Amino acid sequence: MRPPLQKQLNILDYGLRSLWQKKGRHLCVFLIFSGVIFLLASFQFMAASLTRTAELLLATVPDITVQQLSAGRQIPLAEESVAHLDSVFGISNMSPRVWGYYFDERNGANYTVIGSSTPAADPLLESLLVSGRYPVAGERAEVVLGSAVISNLDLQERNSFSLFRPDLSRISLQRVGVFRESTNLLTADLIVMSIDDARDLFAMEKHELTDLLIQVGNPTEIPTIAKKIAETIPGSRVITAEQIRKTYEAVFSFRSGFGAVCLLASLAAFVILAFDKALGFSTEDKQEVGILKILGWQTRDIMRLRFYESLATAGCAFGLGVSLAWAHILFFDGGLFRFVFLGWSVLRPSFDIVPFIQGRDILLLFSFSALPYLAATIIPAWRASIVRADSVV
Amino acid sequence: MRPSALLFSLIAVIILVDTLFWAANRYQKKDLETKLSSQQRLVGTFGLTDLALSTEARYTRHPAVTDSVAPFMDHPGSIEHFPSGSFILPVAVVGR
Repeated sequence: MRPPLQKQLNILDYGLRSLWQKKGRHLCVFLIFSGVIFLLASFQFMAASLTRTAELLLATVPDITVQQLSAGRQIPLAEESVAHLDSVFGISNMSPRVWGYYFDERNGANYTVIGSSTPAADPLLESLLVSGRYPVAGERAEVVLGSAVISNLDLQERNSFSLFRPDLSRISLQRVGVFRESTNLLTADLIVMSIDDARDLFAMEKHELTDLLIQVGNPTEIPTIAKKIAETIPGSRVITAEQIRKTYEAVFSFRSGFGAVCLLASLAAFVILAFDKALGFSTEDKQEVGILKILGWQTRDIMRLRFYESLATAGCAFGLGVSLAWAHILFFDGGLFRFVFLGWSVLRPSFDIVPFIQGRDILLLFSFSALPYLAATIIPAWRASIVRADSVV
Repeated sequence: MRPSALLFSLIAVIILVDTLFWAANRYQKKDLETKLSSQQRLVGTFGLTDLALSTEARYTRHPAVTDSVAPFMDHPGSIEHFPSGSFILPVAVVGR
């Protein structure tokens, strides 16, 4: 082995032996540091995985969604205004929809009721049901339910149940299908029924819609057509597929950012602890430096020794923390932090997320954790290395 | 054994474990992506615009298609009171 490299290895060996001699103190720092990195990395990986999942799921979101606003609030869209859109060139398909929320007073849960036209027969769509079928055109009061709705309504094997209209009269419904639990991220709180049944449940007029879903022939024309629609229907709110996808990027990065703010505070506290610990070196430490200097060690060798000690601690803690975070996302679906992303909802369904980890996330984590630790130990290392041998030995 | 050799062995073990996780991730991701892409049909058919993550309020259940004033609609001077609402940004609106 070349002498310079051999010298570095000898310094590293000495540093590691020195760490081992005070293993109680250093192990404690190592474990706390690994824990902080585990928390930070889990948040970062969870946010990236949720963003990726949303990107995959919402790829087929309607090109344009049109709603009606009045006094800053959403109100039903009149069916007549839809006719005005015939003059807008480039629209390939328009689907009216009635939807809203049903608040279950017994348990405080909110269900999402979707009134939609009967879907065309499609084996792929049918395969997303654990049993049954979708509502058939012409048949009234048929619904497909999400798994969380079934458990909250406590339906068990029953197919018939009733919900309340705004005037507290009951509407009887028949369960004809159940969504698979694997689709929970989309369907957990859904009650899908025909448009007429949804109007009946919400006591809406026959000519009223909640919103209008529009497909555009040429995707490059979506922004232009969206502007034309906004001009054609006064007071309308027009949302494009691109805006929906961007919303989801912002939602997750902001959520994880909120978590990261809390975790960075604990990281900052840890760095202060590391700085304080390294600064307060004991008489024994001073004597050690003095003896090393008498034996011929230079100031730079002692600084290098302290740097190797910090690098070994930070590097191993980073490796362990990131590996544990990865396992947490891969094998436990980020169970520890899910509550942050799920909110304080009554319905808390289980769902699958796509684990998604990028090199840039790892670099970011290294910059926010290991680098501050190394920086925090530089000044104490320098102060320790400039001790005069004759003053301590 | 030299302590540095032990350290390098530990680093090698961490790299090996991470490589195994990476392989597991590739396998799991492929499987999940296939499952999720079949659900895209559901999104297209029923016009679903949002993920069922926070069902506590309409503006957290459907952040992409909710009025930006929804959290403050209960009465004049109302403040929003659902914690998950503090994470949700309103969508930009075309032509307004």
